[in-house]
Order: sequence, then structure tokens, then C-alpha cells
Amino acid sequence: MSLCESIDTLAMAYLDDELAGEEARELELHLGECASCKAHLEGERAEISFVRKALVAPPAPDMLKARIARALDAEEKTAARDTRKKWQRYLLPGSALAAAAAALALFLGMGVFGGEKKTEPAVAREVLRQQTRGLPLEVQGPGTGPWLRANFAPVEPPQFQEPGIQLIGARATAIAGHDAAQLRYLVSVGVNRVSLTAMLIADLQGDELRGGQPVKMGRLTLHVYDVEGLPAVTYVDENRIGYVFTSERMSLNELLSLVGTTDLISRAQQQR
Amino acid sequence: MLASREKRAEFERQAMVHTDALYGAAYRLTRNPRDAEDLVQDALLRAYRFWDSFEQDSNCKAWLLRIVTNTFINEYQRKKRSREVLDAASAEQEATDGVLVHADATDRQSPERAMLDRSVSDDVQRALEALPDDFRTAVVLCDVQGLSYKEIAEIMETPVGTVMSRLFRGRKLLATALREFAAHHGYVREEKPGGEKKAATTEDENETIDLEKYRAQKKAREGF
Repeated sequence: MSLCESIDTLAMAYLDDELAGEEARELELHLGECASCKAHLEGERAEISFVRKALVAPPAPDMLKARIARALDAEEKTAARDTRKKWQRYLLPGSALAAAAAALALFLGMGVFGGEKKTEPAVAREVLRQQTRGLPLEVQGPGTGPWLRANFAPVEPPQFQEPGIQLIGARATAIAGHDAAQLRYLVSVGVNRVSLTAMLIADLQGDELRGGQPVKMGRLTLHVYDVEGLPAVTYVDENRIGYVFTSERMSLNELLSLVGTTDLISRAQQQR
Repeated sequence: MLASREKRAEFERQAMVHTDALYGAAYRLTRNPRDAEDLVQDALLRAYRFWDSFEQDSNCKAWLLRIVTNTFINEYQRKKRSREVLDAASAEQEATDGVLVHADATDRQSPERAMLDRSVSDDVQRALEALPDDFRTAVVLCDVQGLSYKEIAEIMETPVGTVMSRLFRGRKLLATALREFAAHHGYVREEKPGGEKKAATTEDENETIDLEKYRAQKKAREGF
């Protein structure tokens, strides 16, 4: 076929380095034979270079960089304040959550849990390692539930009763040889967004996720870990599916309080 | 909790290093240093708030440019439109007062400001002014930032073919305008070297600039 009729497209893509190797070679061959296309391409080359030279922009003024640094400082302070306020709300005195969190806090305060870190299961470590890698999601939005049932197991993604926690999407993975699905949630805290991950792990044999510190939430027993400074809250349901909740930006208390608002609790109540 | 210090350090390391590039894009998109500074600051603050949703392995510069572009489209264009309405009203008022005003002078609030803007603006900014936003954005992302068609397509949420035709026509319009300004100022006497020139328009023409389409057609032809 003649390349002449597509020369506008080809010349532009060639000059922008967007042609595949074979396409570029084919075009170069053609340019050797077709003076008109060759002239066209050179004209385009001159024009693009003319435009690029004209558009070279000045660097950002130093004043701007200083201004942005100050704005980020202010943002950090606001965010820290908002976060404290928001989490305090979960820990209103009198609630079961607050009781559990207080029990945990007491426990942590005694230094039993914080000190030795002897219960870092390989599974939880693997989960955190995967989370920090930030791999792309395979499915996003409302299709996540159906995707999970089709690609992982007949379960529903855990729902948080707390408003402002949104399921973003999921990806399939494997944890220590088990099929797993990583669900990502976005937690809105004031103007900030904090990411929270729930790793669902299929066919657990036994106590892989039960080595941490047990915390009772209603009839449900959660286990909490501190894995290399990052908090993890785990739960294994009656179908031997493990749930590992983690968030890089939350303390153990904050994470535990949030997990306490999931429907895992109510599901567990109904089953018994 | 991971210290906010670490988040900040990570943000400085991955995002703030692109400040100059972002400013370059903002400067060409807004065509005004003051607006460009505001846009970069807004966009970086926004990026910092959403830093948790940034996919760590992806292209940070492209992610930031997406925020700059979206912020520009959403905020600055709206601001500009409301300003234009006001300007139109005041221009009308001045016209009825029998005062003839230069078009440039009506789109700023004060004469001093108009002077300031004029002194820093140049032919390039004026040439960009004449481009439709979509065309300007495509040209800025490609020719100022060096992004690939695919990256631009993701930022602008359009097919690659649309990016190519906006880029193609945007460059033509820009080059034509620049040559006209240059000729007007006596910088250049000659037309651009090589090839015949096509009249550049913002209208869709019959010829398509689309690599995907070319590839599909080629494949179809080779198939038979």
C-alpha cells in the first residue's frame, strides 16, 4: 500500500517517536523513494522544532517554591488536627468500640505487645509487603463485588458502617501460596484521604492469622499485630477465609476502631 | 501511624522535584505568570492531599500533570469565564461612554495590571491565547512536557486519535500565529522551509490523523 496517503499521520508519529520499530523502518524506506513525502516530513520536523523552541517555559520562581513549602506545612498541621478530631469521634466513651480500644490501649501500655514483637506471622508480613508496593487495581468501582465473587470466592466485600469509607477496587494476588484478593478502600478524613487495605485470603489451614493479640468485638474475636511498625487487624471467618486489614497511615487503635464498624461483626452475630 | 514527616519527605522526593516542569505547563496553559503560580500551588496541595491514592509505581510527573490540567480546566476556566462576562459588561459600558479601549486593556481590572501583564506576556502567550483549550493542552503536554500520546490521552480522557488530531492542528495553528506575529514585528521575512502549507483550522477535516486507524486499515488491507 502507498504510505503517501497516510503521510500526515505517519510523519507526525515518526517525529514524536511514536511509531513501532518496523513502522519507522518502513517509512524511512519510503522516504528514500518519495521526494514529496520526504519534503513533507522535513517541513513537519521544522515546524515541530519551531513550536517546541517557542514554547520553552521559564523555571518556577524561587518565591513560588518557598510559598508552596509554607502551604504544605500549613496543610500538614490542619491534617493532623482533623485526623485527631475524626478518630476521637470513633472513641466516644461508652461504646463497645471504645471499650475494646481502651482494653487494647491498656494492653499496649503495659508493653506486653509493643515490646517483643514475637508474633509477626509470615502471612501478615507478606500482606504488608504487598500493600506497600501499591500495585495497580484490576477492577474499580461498583464492579468490585461481582469481580470478587467471580475471581476469588463467594463472599461480599466487607462494608464499613462509617460513612466516608469507599471501596475503590481490587486486584487478585497470592499470599503465602493461598489465593488472595486485595481490596482497597479510601477513608475520607476531613479533606484528607487515607488508604486502607483489606486482604482476603482463601483456604487458611488453621492459625496462620491468629498469632497476634486477641481483641473481642461483640462475639467476634479479632487479632491485632504490629508488623514492623505497621498495624494489622485480622479475622478468620467460618469458611476459613482470612481478612487482614492494614493501613499505613493509621495507628493500631484507629484501624481497630474502623474494623469494628464493618459488617463482619453483624454477619458473625447472625450466624450464631 | 506512619509519621507525616515521612509522607512529606516522600512527596518532596517524588513530586516536588517536578515543580519547574509543572510551572512550565501552567505558564503555557494559563498564559500568565500569576495564574501559573496559583495553579501550581493549588495542584501540588491537591496532590499532597491525594498522595495516598497515587499508585507508587506509576509516572508521578504524568499524575501531577493530570492534576494541573484538571485543576486548570475546572477552576481557572470557570474563573476566566466569569471574568469575561464582567469584562464584556464593562467593555459595553465604556463603549457607550464613547471611550475607545484596546481589547487587552479590558480583560484586567486596572491599567497598572494591564501594563504588568503586557510586559511579561509575549508573542507566544498571545499565540497560545488564540488556541482552543483542548488544542493548547495537547500541545503543551506533548511539546513542553514531552509526554507520549498515550499519557496525554489518559490525562485528557480522550482516545489517542483525538490527541493526535488536536496536536496536529494545534501545532499548525500555533506555528501560523507565531509566524504572523514574527512577520508583523519584522523578525522573519520567509515562510517556513519545506513542504506546502495547509490552512490551519479548528474545524474537523476529512483527513484523519490517527495512528490506530492507520494501523487498523493497514492490517485489514494486508489481511486480504
